[in-house]
Amino acid sequence: MERDMLSVRGGAFNIDVWEAGSGEPLLYLHGWPGLQPDAFLDGLAADHHVIAPLHPGYGRSTGDEHLQDLQDLVFYYLDFLDAKGLRNIPLVGHSLGAMFAAELAAVQPERFSKLVLIAPFGLFNSDYPVVDFFVSSPDELKAAMWADPSSEAARAVTQVPQTEGDVAVLLERVKSLRVAAKYLWPIPNRGLTKRIHRVTTPTLLLWGDADGIIPQAYGRDFVKLLPNARLEVIANAGHLPQSEQPEEALRLVSTFLES
Amino acid sequence: MFHLMPYRELPEDFAERYRSVWVDIPSELFDAQRAHVFYNDTLDELEFAAEMGFDGVCVNEHHSNAYGFMPSPNIMAAALARRTKDVALIVLGNSIALYNPPIRVAEEFAMLDCISGGRLIAGFPVGSSSDTNFAYGMNPATLRDRYYEAEELITKAWANKDVFSFDGKYTQLRYVNIWPRPLQDPRPPIWVPGGGSIETWGWCVEKDYLYAYLSYAGFKRGKVVMDGFWNTAEKMGSAKNPYQAGFLQLVAVADSEQEAADKFGPHGEYFYNKMLHVYPGFADAPGYRTLKTVEAGLLQQTTQFGERPPAMTWKDLLEQGNIVAGTPKQVTERLEAVIKDLHIGHLMVLNQFGSIPHDLAMANIRKTATEVLPNLRHIWEGQYEDRWWPKGLANAQAPRRNLAGAASR
Repeated sequence: MERDMLSVRGGAFNIDVWEAGSGEPLLYLHGWPGLQPDAFLDGLAADHHVIAPLHPGYGRSTGDEHLQDLQDLVFYYLDFLDAKGLRNIPLVGHSLGAMFAAELAAVQPERFSKLVLIAPFGLFNSDYPVVDFFVSSPDELKAAMWADPSSEAARAVTQVPQTEGDVAVLLERVKSLRVAAKYLWPIPNRGLTKRIHRVTTPTLLLWGDADGIIPQAYGRDFVKLLPNARLEVIANAGHLPQSEQPEEALRLVSTFLES
Repeated sequence: MFHLMPYRELPEDFAERYRSVWVDIPSELFDAQRAHVFYNDTLDELEFAAEMGFDGVCVNEHHSNAYGFMPSPNIMAAALARRTKDVALIVLGNSIALYNPPIRVAEEFAMLDCISGGRLIAGFPVGSSSDTNFAYGMNPATLRDRYYEAEELITKAWANKDVFSFDGKYTQLRYVNIWPRPLQDPRPPIWVPGGGSIETWGWCVEKDYLYAYLSYAGFKRGKVVMDGFWNTAEKMGSAKNPYQAGFLQLVAVADSEQEAADKFGPHGEYFYNKMLHVYPGFADAPGYRTLKTVEAGLLQQTTQFGERPPAMTWKDLLEQGNIVAGTPKQVTERLEAVIKDLHIGHLMVLNQFGSIPHDLAMANIRKTATEVLPNLRHIWEGQYEDRWWPKGLANAQAPRRNLAGAASR
């Protein structure tokens, strides 16, 4: 993927944007673990111009200090979409990024032709609470995130740096978790249920059957609340089904986007 | 004297059976009948410390915590205000970012200052991550920003004689008007308990606030942190007045080393092995520490999920400097060295720690106050001015003891 910095809102934000492929533009919003180029994004880029920005505060993207809450974040993304001239495009989000995607679609449903939400945050039910992954030990987190914690995909995303020289990696992890906490702490519910009825965009929900962070029951809750959505559960996948089962995730997403 | 007010009777196998003494400690371990005794014993110990000659008594704030269960230290300070005289009331402090609106703190501190006749020291901690982010759900990404805004609001509320409006990011008030106002003019001294965030050092120097390092790690670890503070102060052109620094130390005084080990040993081990048994996930919410602090590597041990540290023996605790114990002479010499080495003008002594029962705590307070402190007080005298100490009223009103009698006259 190619990387370039994009200035948004007169330089208040300087955003690290990864792009690949050609054709219809598609916006991809990454989850709390960050953005990793992978087979899923490559597959999307086969027939789309994939645009994947890092959220402010992640990696080299700046401007996080201008964002106090989710509303600020949503208006930042509207500015980003304007800066990129993006309209009537498919929007794919994962986890934290899927929460952002749902909020954006509630504000401007007409702006998005299709919506794909992979394991989104945004709802909370104390009968089956979202796991407080901020306090999990690395081992617990691994077990919660992956159907197969020993897989190559799991290792690439969750491996704990072993040497002192990996301070940069550790710092980036602290930095990005801090950003995620702004929108997810202490309970990842910022009132989406009051707005979600506005998301009339055709929506596909994807969930891993072994998601140990956000229980699958939330998939059914999203389907109930979204006016135009259906849920697909991917077998042998955890919180990152697109990384763990990229072929199946791609097949479902491509079919949905073409329909 | 500083008091944490610990729950003195946790089960023998607490550390094996439960994951944390803080945040999610089961409430079934709390016995309100016993808490009645602990609260009153604690107040007695603090009042006794004042009577025995300590210059001040300190209380602090924790939430969902068995090693310190004074969620509102202001309530304790209010009780102490009526039962002590001439000593400073050091509330260390109120986690100002947690109160909405933060002028609640400005008001309660003003009340305490008025009741006590100007004896209050106002502590403004950010608060630990366990207290603020976990027990009180405050967002770690914005906690420090809120803290700085709250400090600005409270100090403005004390300084401004006129009604004003405050248009903050987190607090908006059309009418700020503190009633009562603090008795000390312009305000009580402000102490900032820090836990090793490097930005706090420069901030305290700039604001001329006292920097207090409250840790249970003792003077060896304290040296690293206080050196950081003084190096920053020096770079900023400060006169390095030792009275601008405070430090907490656990102290046990007995007639011999052996007696100290026999009497206090099990309670020291109880404190370090049982009461500081905190689940690592609750130690440090993401964003609680600034990136600069994380980068400085000050906190490597506390932020890692590793093996919990092995249980410590009394001997370890003395060797590592966690606890200063021994005869009055030994303790005096050790504390004098610590005061000079760390360059501190305000030493906070923890005489009751862990499971120390009331009688032993009282004996420790008496010995420390009468056989140790008188030999330490002179250290900085005449060399520096203490600008971080309350200027109480000379003619403060004491509680009338016999109200019925007074009324009939």
